Amino acid sequence: MLRYAYFPGCVAQGACKELHLSTTAISQALGIELIELKKAACCGSGTYKEDSQLLEDTVNALNIALAESLNLPLLTHCSTWQGVIGHVDERLKDAQENNPDYLDKVNGFLVKENCSPYQGTTEVKHILWALVGDYGLEALKAKVIKPLTGLKCASFYGCYLLRTQKNLPFDNPLNPQSLESIFTAVGATPVYYQGRSKCCGWPLSSYATQQSFQMAGNNLLDAINNGADCIVTPCPLCHLNLDSRQPEVAKVIKEKLDIPILHLPQLVGLALGIKPQKLGLNHHVVSTQKILNKLAISNQ
Amino acid sequence: MKVTFKILRQKLNFTPKFQSYTLDVNPSNTILECLNKIKWELDGSLTYRKNCRNTICGSCTMRINGRSALACKENIASELKNIDPPLGENPPEMIISPLNNLPVIKDLVVDMTNFWQDLETIEPYISTSSRNIPEKEFLQTPDQRKLLEQTGNCIMCGACYSDCNAKEVNPLFVGPHALAKSYRLVADSRDDDRENRLEKYDDQDSGVWGCTRCYLCNEVCPMDVAPLDQISKIKGAILAKKDLNSSRPIRHRKVLIDLVKQDGWIDERKFGVMVVGNYFRDVQGLLSIAPLGFRLLSSGKFPFHFQPSQGVKEVRSLISAVQKDHSVLNNIVVE
Repeated sequence: MLRYAYFPGCVAQGACKELHLSTTAISQALGIELIELKKAACCGSGTYKEDSQLLEDTVNALNIALAESLNLPLLTHCSTWQGVIGHVDERLKDAQENNPDYLDKVNGFLVKENCSPYQGTTEVKHILWALVGDYGLEALKAKVIKPLTGLKCASFYGCYLLRTQKNLPFDNPLNPQSLESIFTAVGATPVYYQGRSKCCGWPLSSYATQQSFQMAGNNLLDAINNGADCIVTPCPLCHLNLDSRQPEVAKVIKEKLDIPILHLPQLVGLALGIKPQKLGLNHHVVSTQKILNKLAISNQ
Repeated sequence: MKVTFKILRQKLNFTPKFQSYTLDVNPSNTILECLNKIKWELDGSLTYRKNCRNTICGSCTMRINGRSALACKENIASELKNIDPPLGENPPEMIISPLNNLPVIKDLVVDMTNFWQDLETIEPYISTSSRNIPEKEFLQTPDQRKLLEQTGNCIMCGACYSDCNAKEVNPLFVGPHALAKSYRLVADSRDDDRENRLEKYDDQDSGVWGCTRCYLCNEVCPMDVAPLDQISKIKGAILAKKDLNSSRPIRHRKVLIDLVKQDGWIDERKFGVMVVGNYFRDVQGLLSIAPLGFRLLSSGKFPFHFQPSQGVKEVRSLISAVQKDHSVLNNIVVE
């Protein structure tokens, strides 16, 4: 049985609870055990680094060390968390070899606060990579009860998942395929478009809303123009900007959008025959009803 | 092996269109060598910039298979990994187009005027007293010089500018090339205008806060300048001397860390009110997020409950300890 240390993250415990719900639901259906880290901290979503690299490394060394103390890989369902903490893990593993003084400094802070030191004995793994690599596409296919035939899915990877770490386990950041391989495994059809690996605009949304929404709008329109029925993202921050702010985005770019944005575990969950409500598909700003209609799934 | 080059061609007043050329190439051929072969043997009208052929001059930057890169640096073998396998007997297809975010003059040649003007706005020269002819050389220690090495490698090729997602939606943003250069000047021990520079770069449209952290500049830079990392260092220097009330982007950063110190992770309700609403002082700000609040309420997404992390005590003292340590460091070097 696959077991992971799991931290839902700030957004999946806040405005995207349906992500936590659907991750839990598909894990149960696939027989994956998640041990929730109750003492974890926010990864900083790239903001700690702007204060200092030391802050980003130290707080996230604490997060990694929590998983290490359980002797489990650290699972996330957030591109930003993966990018930030995956990069910290790479940097600290490199420091073990090449800059031990820096690692001693980070661990000095941890030990002083009675936290376990970082040891470099685990890995940080997005649920997308866990499905493709650990669980396996063939095994996933075998679990599909309701193939999502005819559903045209446009991926939206999230910048941090593709471009912060030096080494990605499966994807070439210039031509990623892992999401598309999941779409195919669950019977859906991938839609390719330029926006799939671009920025959703979330980091600017609190202060430069016009630019942020223009960015989101360009990508949404690109997906729609390429025939997508929905966008599927492994990042709750992208989800916030693309779904929760879609009505404002549509006003900024002066286009009708109305394209549902699914979290990756929700798409997988539908194929596993899990009821839409158990996946939180009724908790979206942009209604997901037309997806359910297309797939002839009753909204119970 | 045979490879098809699908090149976006354009001239003034005409709609751009793809033209395909199929060549017999060696996997070790660079993209530039292939373009030269097309120009010299198949179609002399194909227009592109080139010069050194050796990743030094930065002239031959173009979009190659979906991202900006130097045609003289990338070769057929490496590009085959970036494209989908060809269908049936068809040869693999390389898609070549001009840089983004700049107007096209002809084919793969873009007008770089905005690129250079944006660079000029950050005053890319060591300032004032150092511009005067000194009586003796300005000496730097190896450590002071080391701070300039990474950004000093920039060849101004335009790859980062072309792929910058922020520049695409905000013409005022000066771009990653200019901000990487800005860091080089802020960190230069010979420059005596650091404080003014930080004021100037602390701008939410043109300066560092215009960056959306998409990491594309780091991804495409052929010289490992890592512009986003340099932008982050400038942000750090600005954050060290500014308080919460300075601006909303600064408040965004400070509040995020304060909330993590408070609860271990972010209570999004507080985040919205504190950052956008400036602690209930910015009525317009609050009104601007009210529709989002209603939308979250009506879709059942509004987070009514919040549970702090059980590790909040450790997280709080950890952040305080690092901040205390870093503030000492920050007075010594920018990094």
